[in-house]
Amino acid sequence: MSYPVWEVPNIGNGWVIGLIAIFHVFISHFAIGGGAFLALTETLALKKNDDRIYDYIKKHSKFFLLLTTVLGAVSGVGIWWAIGLANPSGTQVLIQNFGLFWGAEWVFFAAELATFLAYYYTMGKMDKKQHCTIAWIYFAISFGTLFVINGILTGMLTNGGWLGADGNIVGTVYDSFFNPAFWPALFIRLFIMFALAGIYALLTASTIKGADDLKHYLLRYSAKWMLPGLIAGPLFLVWYLFTLPPATQQVILSGLSAIGEGNFSLMAKVIFLAIVCATSLIGMVIVGPFLNPKGFNTTFALILLASGFGFMFTEEWSREMMRKPYVIYNYMYSNGLRKNQIAEVNAEGFFKNHAWARAESQTLAKEDDLGRGKLMFRYQCMSCHTATGTGYRSMARLLGERDENAIQNLITLMKDNHVLVPEEVTDADGNKTIVKKAKTPYNGYMPPVVGHQDELDALSKYLVSISKKGMATQEDATAQTHMASQSTSVTQKS
Amino acid sequence: MAFETFKKLNLLKFGYDWLNQRVPLEAAIKFAGKKEVPVHQHSLWYYMGGICMLFVVLQLVTGLLLMVHYVPTFEDAYQSVMNINNKIPFGWLIRSMHSWGANLFIAVLVIHMFSTYFMKAYRSPRELTWFSGLGLIGLAMVFGFTGYLLPMDEIAFFATKVGVDVAGSAPFVGELVAYFVRGGEEIGQGTMSRFFLIHVCALPAALLGALGLHLLLIQIHGISEPEYFKKLSIKKYEKFFPDFILNDMFIWVAVTLLFLGIVCINPWPLGPTADPAAAAPIGIRPEWYFLSQFQVLKMMPAKFLGFIEGEHLGMAIIGAAASTMALVPFLDTGKNPTVSKLATVWGVVFLIALAVLTYLGLQ
Repeated sequence: MSYPVWEVPNIGNGWVIGLIAIFHVFISHFAIGGGAFLALTETLALKKNDDRIYDYIKKHSKFFLLLTTVLGAVSGVGIWWAIGLANPSGTQVLIQNFGLFWGAEWVFFAAELATFLAYYYTMGKMDKKQHCTIAWIYFAISFGTLFVINGILTGMLTNGGWLGADGNIVGTVYDSFFNPAFWPALFIRLFIMFALAGIYALLTASTIKGADDLKHYLLRYSAKWMLPGLIAGPLFLVWYLFTLPPATQQVILSGLSAIGEGNFSLMAKVIFLAIVCATSLIGMVIVGPFLNPKGFNTTFALILLASGFGFMFTEEWSREMMRKPYVIYNYMYSNGLRKNQIAEVNAEGFFKNHAWARAESQTLAKEDDLGRGKLMFRYQCMSCHTATGTGYRSMARLLGERDENAIQNLITLMKDNHVLVPEEVTDADGNKTIVKKAKTPYNGYMPPVVGHQDELDALSKYLVSISKKGMATQEDATAQTHMASQSTSVTQKS
Repeated sequence: MAFETFKKLNLLKFGYDWLNQRVPLEAAIKFAGKKEVPVHQHSLWYYMGGICMLFVVLQLVTGLLLMVHYVPTFEDAYQSVMNINNKIPFGWLIRSMHSWGANLFIAVLVIHMFSTYFMKAYRSPRELTWFSGLGLIGLAMVFGFTGYLLPMDEIAFFATKVGVDVAGSAPFVGELVAYFVRGGEEIGQGTMSRFFLIHVCALPAALLGALGLHLLLIQIHGISEPEYFKKLSIKKYEKFFPDFILNDMFIWVAVTLLFLGIVCINPWPLGPTADPAAAAPIGIRPEWYFLSQFQVLKMMPAKFLGFIEGEHLGMAIIGAAASTMALVPFLDTGKNPTVSKLATVWGVVFLIALAVLTYLGLQ
């Protein structure tokens, strides 16, 4: 929790990670699915002994080389840069917990690059069968990168036996890595990768000139790469859904949210959009390159690529949202606060437990509550909220018409945000059971606000100062002071 | 090739054969296969008509679904829309699709109109096709106007009031028209009943009729070709069925995806309930497709030449400009190159004026 905060105006730091990550995922998935595409297509060329397919593979692999090794590698570094700045506490836990796996990931990545360079530069210069073997080796290694990152990513949401109910670590890293969602997520990603490989291949195949039969053959062949996802995707998606935490399942399946727009949660809307994107992609591929390769051109291929990006965007965004309000589920909140720290911070005070906030607070005057409140906001809220204006999840906008009392009540509510209270429930047969229910509607969406009461009061004062009503009061006070000074000056003149 | 693939799938073949024995499906497909679509650098614009059709279908389906839960009374309409938005599963989606769809339908219709205008598709023998198209735009705008009141939120109520008041200021028949539209002196249950009836009965029937006529005329005259294409020695065509229709389907899926993206990311808002006794909110204005006309009226002086009402002059200007679109098939017949160029220039001026006035109306 003791790290500085990276303030990004308007969009917030979360979106910096999000934008770089989604771009990277769109390319890196191609690096793996595209590996399978190159290997299978080269096997096909070998089997058919068709040099025209080889020529196409050469052209396609040049595009592959540029996209994956240049943009993929640069954006991959970009993710580390962004998460290191935006969520250093989360990054620290990831590195410490999964050290061995990160090491393996980098080894796989280096091997992947080396193999692909070997593949590309030996094309047409060595025995075709041996070259095909290199393609399969490349795919095996790139699958290794997927295997590792999938364990880490799923471990951040469904961490299995790694954690106890109180948020303390009780298991080993292997419990976290081979978590309940590991296998369904691995297969879902593989299907997505195959589909993306097909979509990228449709783009390159659509540019083939002067060989209509080959072009049509390759377009229909590329379109078939959607099939695994179409046939098995929904089954693995259902399996994946069953592995998610019950609270996340409830939001997805009911679509309801206590604090979302209307009653429909934003996460459910985006998941719905991801399903629409996937269905539309399949529909476009069927009526486009599969049934009508003659009419399929590069414009249509670009529309498919954009739709594919839309799918990746919504799918990745909703996967990230499922962890909310945690960065590592049930262990660390998105603002870096660990679940097992809450009692301690509430007892000892926030500033005592946060090195940077403490250092900055020491420069403030004793009576500067507003300054302390601003520091509370910066270190507890700014990982997800911007303060004023129309920025991403702007606090001023979200506070709406709340007055001072309402804001104080909100803070009180937010303090108990993690608390579950036992409630007696009677079923249809009259059997009574005790279930634990959230004490506040913000549970599952926001981390609790922590600190001594005077620190919470300071935060409340700061929020009042940036709220609509608070701003209006300040403007009134300024206007009255201005009018008073003018009337004084008129009196003095007369 | 696509047709052959279609036939190869046994289950589909069974369905195809079953249907073919009962209706002349094969004959219809053969007939459709004879139809051709010209392929040239402006072919992209041909897809606009299909997109318009897509929106008609979406509007009819979502409109029917909304009617299941909507209550068309002055007192309960707002609450029923609230229920659709917040309580009915996926109600928010259907309502947003309908509201967004109405706006996008008009936008695509306008694009379709100008694309056919600049390709001179209004010339003989396609004058009636052009007129039916203009009629469809008019119907879509009336659809928008009548549908806008139905949620009965604050903006809906006051924007409708402004719209009806504008109509009421028309010379000679204005007051009568306004009284008829309102169903009384003020906007109330009478207005609601009229608007609802027009929106869900009269307009769909008129739209389907006009659309049927439009499509029939396209079947009779075929798809128009730009002038330069007619003069080419080697022309390229593609079969309407299945090639063009499959491309059309591809575009429909893509447009539906984009449409649902807009709807999900930015669901159509519902303002506070209307209070007829309250003052109109500041800056109230009609929907974007009425803004250019609204701006012309706003720009008019109170009196022109001392005796003509400014609003009457504005209405005359709007009427004259709109009637040029109806008259263009008779003026630009293709026989006089100078008139043809003038018609193109006028189209550009019209389009720019529409855009500028709409922009000014937004300010």
